Amino acid sequence: MSALEIRNVRKNYGSVETLKGIDIALQSGEFLVLLGSSGCGKSTLLNIIAGLAEATSGDVLIGGRSILGVHPKNRDIAMVFQSYALYPNLTVRRNIGFGLEMRGVAADEREKAVAEAARLLQIEALLDRKPSQLSGGQRQRVAIGRALVRKPQVFLFDEPLSNLDAKLRLEMRTELKRLHQMLQTTVVYVTHDQIEAMTLASRIAVMRDGRIEQLGTPEEIYNEPATLYVAGFVGAPSMNMLQATVQGTMLAIDGAKASLPLPAHFRDMVLDGARVVVGIRPEALRVAADATAPSLPVEIEVVELTGPELVTTARIGTQRLTACLPPASRVAKGQAASFAFSENALRLFDPDTGKAL
Amino acid sequence: MSSTWMTTRAWLLMLPLLVVMVAVIGWPLVDTVGLSFTDAKLVGTGGNYVGFDNYANMLSSSNFSRTLVTTTLFAVISVAAEMVIGVLAALLLNQQFHGRAVLRALMILPWALPTVVNATLWRLIYNPEYGALNAALTQLNLIDAYRSWLGEPGTALTALIVADCWKNFPLVALIALAALQAVPRDITAASLVDGAGPFNRFRFVILPYLAGPLMVALVLRTIEAFKVFDIIWVMTRGGPANSTRTLSILVYQEAFSFQRAGSGASLALIVTLLVTVLAVAYAALVKKTAGSAV
Repeated sequence: MSALEIRNVRKNYGSVETLKGIDIALQSGEFLVLLGSSGCGKSTLLNIIAGLAEATSGDVLIGGRSILGVHPKNRDIAMVFQSYALYPNLTVRRNIGFGLEMRGVAADEREKAVAEAARLLQIEALLDRKPSQLSGGQRQRVAIGRALVRKPQVFLFDEPLSNLDAKLRLEMRTELKRLHQMLQTTVVYVTHDQIEAMTLASRIAVMRDGRIEQLGTPEEIYNEPATLYVAGFVGAPSMNMLQATVQGTMLAIDGAKASLPLPAHFRDMVLDGARVVVGIRPEALRVAADATAPSLPVEIEVVELTGPELVTTARIGTQRLTACLPPASRVAKGQAASFAFSENALRLFDPDTGKAL
Repeated sequence: MSSTWMTTRAWLLMLPLLVVMVAVIGWPLVDTVGLSFTDAKLVGTGGNYVGFDNYANMLSSSNFSRTLVTTTLFAVISVAAEMVIGVLAALLLNQQFHGRAVLRALMILPWALPTVVNATLWRLIYNPEYGALNAALTQLNLIDAYRSWLGEPGTALTALIVADCWKNFPLVALIALAALQAVPRDITAASLVDGAGPFNRFRFVILPYLAGPLMVALVLRTIEAFKVFDIIWVMTRGGPANSTRTLSILVYQEAFSFQRAGSGASLALIVTLLVTVLAVAYAALVKKTAGSAV
């Protein structure tokens, strides 16, 4: 039995269809990340699971029980919000224990649960402070504590790290990962940050326009993007997409005097003369040292050192290409070079449907 | 630009306003203080210096203490009722329903009406011969015969408080509504997930956001209620048997009806002092509330 099951959930706001039939089943202990840009419907889906919005049709089951129409407090869920949503006039102690207090849990039991959550989150020293006396990171820990203390079947996180600065976001991300590994709870986590999604998720659902574009493990999403959208959305810098035409067993790059061998496993899928989009991750490119691997002749345009890597933008005919090279790579603006890659790193997409071949 | 010049320029720009304020507030106030130490009449000579006699007489008179009690009753009950009704109306108007915008606009009407119009309207409602209240209550068999609500000492003050509430609760409701709209949606959602019922949601989630703005409404309304004049003057003129006489009515009677300008001035200054004490106390409260909440 799934810990959480979403069956063909649809949501309309007037004539606007925000969710267009979502199906997901989650096993106990899974960490699902709903990833997508603003307006894709990810927060709406989370709110439907929480009971803060109603689905127009479909069903949501937690532990095999349909929870549509059930009050949020009776859904056995806990939620962490982007804005922390702490009660400003209550101390940290009462904020964390609020859910238990409202459920009539005895004071000593409540106190024990709060102390345990505070220990886990290392906020024992803050228990008697008010939220206004806390930093952003501390507030988010309190918000997580408030969810933890309830020991629900499913945790819901709505972009919980978006309000934190970059350094704190990284720390809290690791903290969340640690907590999940320790507690093995079922989590649904909404974010638009693909790094958060990649690092935290056991599975990612990439959403677009109210649909799931691809549902898979982070490795699948990164290495085997099902569509051009997923390929472009996940990864920073995003995947290179070169317009090309199939010419026999070769791929001729449009607008450039360059071609690549068409990998054998794609040969049955495309017809001669077909237009395709060639996808190559910037991390898969390297400056060619020998002529054995397939390569692309380029002219270096911009070189940016980020520290761990040299992000290099180059031109190939009328198209552009980005490569993440080792920092010691000898490339300079205006220089002609050749970017090589493994044949396995190449992905092909249908330019009309946007789907992977 | 030097800060000295900036300061000088600021004072220069404010000077016209300061002159007007001194002319229309400062000078009459100083004149009133001077007058309060004399036995001057409204017409005639400046009067003789009598020291603190006017103050002593006024503070020891039964008229003053009785009027102070009436004023306090009027202020406390009407402001308390306005706060409760205003917050309830705001909670209602904060819900999603058809016609909400129309209802919000309609609610402002009583407050937007001139007090004289409001008072006249309520006099018609309370009319002992053809008033709507008498008609409604007799038809509902709640009273046997038409009554003179404003003519009986036992009911006049209550009738005035109702009229004052009707006029002023929209102000509280508007302030509360604005505050309610500032309550973050996430906090309300969190309280729902946490299992807080409507009462606890109000107590722990909404009230902290309402406290500051409501305190401002409380300050404004208490000060206004304490110096109330117009609605009472139009509806009862302080009667019957002085049962609705408030401090401002007493000042008017003393200074203009009985033409005792010196004594009236001393009473006016006592009222000013009381209102100032209230204002300072409330300002401190507002500062404290603003500091502790949200």
